[in-house]
Amino acid sequence: MSDITTLNGGSCIAFKGKNCVAIACDLRLGNQALTVACNRDKVFKITDKTYLGMTGLASDVDTLRSAFRYRLNMYRMKEEREIEPETFAHLVSSTLYEKRFGPYFIEPIIAGLNSNNEPFIAAADLIGCLNFAKDFVVTGTASDKLFGMAEGLWEPDLGPEELFESISQALLGALERDALSGWGAIVRVITPDKVIERTLQSRQD
Amino acid sequence: MLGLQPGSSTVVPTSAPVGHRFEPYDSNGGSIAAVCGKDFCIIASDTRQSTGYSIQTRYKPKVFRLNDKATLATNGFAADAEAMVSRIRQRLEWYRHSHGRSMPLHAIARMISTILYGKRFFPYYVYNILGGLDEEGKGAVYSFDPVGSYEREFCRAAGAAQSLIQPFLDNQIMFKNQHSTPEHTVPKPGEMSLPDVLKIVMDSFTSATERHIEVGDGLEMFVVRTPPSAQGEAIGAASVDLKAMGGVEAVGGEDEQEEGAVMVIRRELKKD
Repeated sequence: MSDITTLNGGSCIAFKGKNCVAIACDLRLGNQALTVACNRDKVFKITDKTYLGMTGLASDVDTLRSAFRYRLNMYRMKEEREIEPETFAHLVSSTLYEKRFGPYFIEPIIAGLNSNNEPFIAAADLIGCLNFAKDFVVTGTASDKLFGMAEGLWEPDLGPEELFESISQALLGALERDALSGWGAIVRVITPDKVIERTLQSRQD
Repeated sequence: MLGLQPGSSTVVPTSAPVGHRFEPYDSNGGSIAAVCGKDFCIIASDTRQSTGYSIQTRYKPKVFRLNDKATLATNGFAADAEAMVSRIRQRLEWYRHSHGRSMPLHAIARMISTILYGKRFFPYYVYNILGGLDEEGKGAVYSFDPVGSYEREFCRAAGAAQSLIQPFLDNQIMFKNQHSTPEHTVPKPGEMSLPDVLKIVMDSFTSATERHIEVGDGLEMFVVRTPPSAQGEAIGAASVDLKAMGGVEAVGGEDEQEEGAVMVIRRELKKD
């Protein structure tokens, strides 16, 4: 009822493919059952080939977004290179664990291609325990539905277009059974030479 | 135990009386699902029974054959489910005694609804899915809540892994979010073939087993159809050789069974 992890609603999912990864989220921002906005992107660009998705308490998502921007700028200045997705996952983990006893109420997922263009996905809990999955990761209020969809639809070595279709079906299917997520979705497929970004129409209820 | 506080003349109880309360309900995990086609219905469940983190048994059927045209899947509190199924079976027997035939599916559905609502203020903690063939021989699924609200549908999942299975069935059986293209037309819901639906049901439960701790051990899929012998030339679901897929005759129920009307296919699921 007064659970702040499900106060705003929203869901994210990432799929690993063959030389590509996909990350997608819904667009809803709510206050319990009341929908406040339907343009809330929950996936953020970290580098050209690394994206971060965050679900949970919307204010903590904003706070962490600026915290990561600061830490990434520091990393870039010190190292004079872009961060690898693997390294970024550990940066997320340690940032969250710093608040071990008063955590940010968000659960992040990371998707990207590393400098060898190998696909990488990871998820973490609210205190930064990392999960390096080899297939897919999910987070948010529709996570149980996303697990069911992804477990059934995901298959290894999907190309960018097939990966787009699979992740879109998985996300839309889950969103329709979750009252706290939905109102449109954005899917990003990261390939070595481009990022394909598409906005999906979905039911507005 | 009563004790005296040192240096005090008044008696102070040092322990409170322990109260015990009877908890009439439990939740026994597991999941059920049913999907219907043009001339058949599949009613499936896993066979694990648990309380909390403990597995009570790896084989406890949750799907019950009622007659040649009706099979009931139950999920929630196993003891209530069992008591409820015996009551339903008794009522079906009485119906046969007075009418000389099996109760039709839609009537069983309404009867289950009234039985459930009859216990509105001390409910059977059971989610039911009734599957079978309607009076026209078409596949039918009826789903119920614990107090008897019900609806006829093409497919339904219930139980611990409802949230994992239902969106998958929405996508694969109801073809939600799928649109026809010039190259590929999306079929209408309820028109898939028996072998195709069986595959989707098996995938649903293997997926649920993978991600839900209360689901696993075994899978039972009951297939209700017009038996092959009742038709001249076997067509549709009747022409599918279920025996070749490991199907055996389902037992139990009030009627003298027609061969091949209700068959059950068993599969192993992961046990961890």
